[in-house]
This record gives sequence, structure tokens and C-alpha cells, in this order.
Amino acid sequence: MKKAITIIVLIISFLILYFLQVNFFSWFTIAGIKPNLFIIFVLFISLFAGMKIGISFGILIGLFLDIIIGKSIGASAIMFGVIGLIGGYFDKNFSKESRLTIMLMVIGSTCIFEIGNYLLQIIQLSIYIEILPFIRTLLIETLYNAILTIILYPIMQKLGYKIEDTFKEQKILTRYF
Amino acid sequence: MLKNKKASKIGIIITIIILVIIVMVSNIQIDNVTYVENGLGIIVMPIQNGLTYLKNWIFGNNTFFTNINNLQEENKQLKEKNSELEQSLRELEIIKSENATLKEYVNLKDKYTDYETIPAYVIQKDISNYSDAMIINIGTKDGVDVNMPVISDQGLVGHIISVTDSTAKVQTIIDTASTISCVITTSRDIMIARGTLEKDSSLKATFIPTEATIFEGDKVETSGLGGIYPKGIHIGTIKKVVNTQNITDRYATIQTAVDFAKLETVLVITN
Repeated sequence: MKKAITIIVLIISFLILYFLQVNFFSWFTIAGIKPNLFIIFVLFISLFAGMKIGISFGILIGLFLDIIIGKSIGASAIMFGVIGLIGGYFDKNFSKESRLTIMLMVIGSTCIFEIGNYLLQIIQLSIYIEILPFIRTLLIETLYNAILTIILYPIMQKLGYKIEDTFKEQKILTRYF
Repeated sequence: MLKNKKASKIGIIITIIILVIIVMVSNIQIDNVTYVENGLGIIVMPIQNGLTYLKNWIFGNNTFFTNINNLQEENKQLKEKNSELEQSLRELEIIKSENATLKEYVNLKDKYTDYETIPAYVIQKDISNYSDAMIINIGTKDGVDVNMPVISDQGLVGHIISVTDSTAKVQTIIDTASTISCVITTSRDIMIARGTLEKDSSLKATFIPTEATIFEGDKVETSGLGGIYPKGIHIGTIKKVVNTQNITDRYATIQTAVDFAKLETVLVITN
């Protein structure tokens, strides 16, 4: 029951993030470049709710975005799934207590997501490869995501530990004893 | 603990302020800064003028240098005039070929009014930095179908890639996956325009014929090849021609007529 409510809360927060991304952040840009809130969101779910839920949320969010606004189906779904996987790996190896680690995780996963997505799009849509404009866009986007992480960190932590309690209660005990 | 919380709150507020400043500064237009420039100029320039006058007065004889400066200036002006004349000569040649196709143009203009169009609002732009699709508020029940071209009052916007009952997804011409066959209005040279990752509504024109004469400011329109876009729809103007060592590799940047950042209403051509 508790899990179901948490999942509904996560879905609602995804919708809020979606409208934020579409309306607010398409206007509030750094040199015309938008952040990608969904990467932070999927990473956050995977870190606190576990790798399985992270991956499934990632794939569902990716499919949703591909169907709604994408040109081809699959690229973002795969890459958000990968972010879920990476989140699980980060959770096992790093502490979530520090703001800096979370920021570095966001920076890493933004880079992995966008590079992977771009490569998949090159294969799927046979687009023209532009390395320098891509790197410039990627750097600004990563910076923007990192700044947003600083702002969102307290909310992430508060909500995150609640989610962790509902999904990983037994695991925490086994981990420390 | 309490102190830490307070400090972190202050940190967040500072971060928000910095973010707002970065966004404002990075999106500022250069013409918006002119009044600052003017203001600074008022403070600095009179003093600078006075200092220059003083310097000239002290050193006295400065006519030799002014003469050289004048000659250099004149030489520069003559060179500019020469290149201008050369360009106008080439343009005259182009006008000849343009004359031959004028009749066709008259027909085309009639054709343009013959297009049946449906107006639509852009309801969502792309969420990603690496693609430029958008969603409009008409769908199959308004008679919209896949591959229909989309234009605005300024020029070509893109074509429809998928459609639902009440919405349609448009792939714009500045999308990285978009390629259009286009033609220079005056010289009728066909080339391929691709979307780029740049955020300033520009296209990259490649496969320019080696014998083609291409100038900055030339108008570009669709060629009608490829089967999606009809012939003669305005795309934009040539902004820059980049000549490489090998003439087959040269490319041009096209500034689209449509400002995609401010695009709100479009027309879908249905026939």
C-alpha cells in the first residue's frame, strides 16, 4: 500500500517536472540551452528506491518522452534505463550524504545520457555529426543540471529517505549488520 | 546542526540568484547593451578627445601621418568599390538567367495562393537541446496527415512526422535529422540544407555545385525535389559562404526566414 502511494507520488512529480521542463525551462535557458530535469529525476529514483525501480521508471519515462515529442522511439528509453542502472551502481559504491557526490553523479549521468542518446540518434536517424557544437551544448547543459542539483538537493534528500524507507527497509539492516 | 541548516539555506538562495544572473546575462541581446555603451562613452570619450588633441599639439607636426592614413583609407575604399563592381557584374549575369525563369515565377505565385492551408498554434516545443520537433494543436480530425508541409507567414517551417486525433508532431527544418533540397532563387543552383545544433535558427548548405555563384544575401527556396516540400517555398537567405581548400567541400550558412524561437502560429498545407 505504502509502495503504491509512493509510486503514485513519483508519477505525479514526474508530470510536474514535465510541465516545468516544457514551459518554464524552455524559456529560462542559459544561452538558449535547457537543462534536463528527467536525468536528475531518474538518477534520484534509482539512488533512493533501488536499481530495479530506477530502471523501470527510466524506461517508462523514456518511452513516454519518445512517443510524445521524439522523432524515433527507443533512444531515450534505452538511455534512461542505463541511467537507472548507473544510479544503482552509484548507490552501492558512494554515499548520498554529501551534496558534492550527488552533484558529481548528476554531472556524470548527464554526460553519459546525452552522449549515448546522440550516438543512438546518429545511428537511428543518420544525422550529421557536429562535434564542437555538441560539446558546447553538453557542457552548458551539464553545468545547468549541476546548479539545479544544488537547489533541489534538500528536497531530494528529504523525499529520498522517505522513499528509501518504503522500498529498502530490510536491505538497510542487512547492509550494516 | 542548526547553523548548518541555515548555512545551506543561504547557499541555496545564493545559487538561485547566481543562476538567474547567468540566465539573464547569457540571453542578453547586444543591442540591449548599447545604452550602457552610450553612457560609458559619455564619460570616457570627451576626456579621450582632449588627450588626443593635447598629444597632437605637443608633437606638432602630424600631417605626414594623416596623409598616409588618408591614402590608406582611399586605397581601402577603392578596393571595396572594385569588389562591389565585380559583384554587380556577376549579379547582372545572374539576372539574365533569372529573366528566363520569370514566367515560371508568375505561375508559382498563383500556385502559392492555391495551397489549401489550415492555421494551427504551436502548443509545445522540444524538451531536448539536440532536436527541434514541436507539437501543433490540429490533428487527423482537421484533415492533417503525415508528411504534409508546414509553413508560416515568413517561410518554411517543416513537415509533419506523426499525427494523433487532435495534435500533430512537426519536424522543423532546423532539426539535426532534417535535410531539404533547396535552390538559390537567382542562379537556380541546387544544394542540400541540413539542420544544425546551433541555437540561432540556421541551416548548413552543403553539396554546392562547383560552378555555382553564391553570395551572402542570396535568397533560398525549396527545389521541389524529394517529394515532401512543394517547389518555391521561401527558406531564408545565405548568411555566410565558407570556402575550403577543396571547392567541392565548401558550404554556406542559411539564416532561416522563420524565427523558430518566437514561432507561435503555423499553416499546414493540405493539398
